[in-house]
Amino acid sequence: MTNIQDLAANPSSKSNRNKIQTPFLWSQIIRDSLWIAVIAILLGGLSNYSLVLKSIDGALITEIQQKQLSDLKSKAEQLYPGISFIDLISAKKLYDDKIALFLDARTVPEYQREHISGAINLPIRALVLGEIELDNVLPDKGALLITYCDGGECDIGLELAKELSKGGYNNIFVLGEGYPGWESAGYPMERPEL
Amino acid sequence: MGKCRLSDGKTRTVNMKLLHNDYLHLAVRLLIGGLFLYAGLPKILDTMGFAASIYNYKLFPSPVIGLTAAFIPWVEVLAGIALILGVKARGASLLISVLLVVFIVLAAISAIRGLDIDCGCFSGVERKANWVAIFEDIALLGCTFIIFYLDRGRISPIALIKKINNSAKKETLS
Repeated sequence: MTNIQDLAANPSSKSNRNKIQTPFLWSQIIRDSLWIAVIAILLGGLSNYSLVLKSIDGALITEIQQKQLSDLKSKAEQLYPGISFIDLISAKKLYDDKIALFLDARTVPEYQREHISGAINLPIRALVLGEIELDNVLPDKGALLITYCDGGECDIGLELAKELSKGGYNNIFVLGEGYPGWESAGYPMERPEL
Repeated sequence: MGKCRLSDGKTRTVNMKLLHNDYLHLAVRLLIGGLFLYAGLPKILDTMGFAASIYNYKLFPSPVIGLTAAFIPWVEVLAGIALILGVKARGASLLISVLLVVFIVLAAISAIRGLDIDCGCFSGVERKANWVAIFEDIALLGCTFIIFYLDRGRISPIALIKKINNSAKKETLS
């Protein structure tokens, strides 16, 4: 047993200093955590007042999607200057006129879950690894091709367009809004798993 | 002190003093505090970018995204400063542990779902939400446990100021 009186009498000695530990008080620790959290909430709320309001209104997600799309477009302008984007309405017109072929750059499970009606799945990973022969899948080099993925947050639609461009295809567009934009516009889609 | 079995088959008591070393605690506090300060500050400057990272997980509704993007960076920064200064360090390490557990769960869900997304941990540094990130976060969680259970805050700017004040008082009295 530690002699408390001895510790109290000589607290500064090295051996006693090691025996005296800061008491482990959960209530104190939780109170300290709450203090930090409350200050963070106050500062975060004051500095991001408009963002919090937008998120409650539901306008934040639309703004995020627009920002991601504009970021993707500026990335394309910098890295792949030859590749153009197409908007939803123009893409739908080409779809209705049966002029364009839609290419889904997402993975096979994602494609099987849901995709634009009539689209062909060309997973970018399989294409880069050489598991897909482009000449077999798309024999017509002059065909009007529209690539897409999951919207502005993904760039594999753009990567697919770049690979097609390298493969000699010269009529390629990227649907920046991707599958989520097509779906929310109420355009035709397929859900093979259902 | 702890016991371990050595290669010669004998069980020996191994000195575990290192875990109780004040300089180790200081180093861990500076590491974790600095890391969270570095993670939080750019998010405060680009809240919209952080909100986009949270949106990419495709798990949360709009209000959760907005509130998380507004508050979490400040929690990271304040907890980081608290650890560096050694003020309310246990409370700060508890908060950081909670954040790390949330990050680990989110990264695990994303890895299982096969999402190829940036974790949004550090602005401007690409770090995917995958199994590597999970193991790194578990290592950081271990560090926060060291602060939480073992750190006594003996070496910190605040402790230094107290020490100077005490010695000044003693001099005045003598």
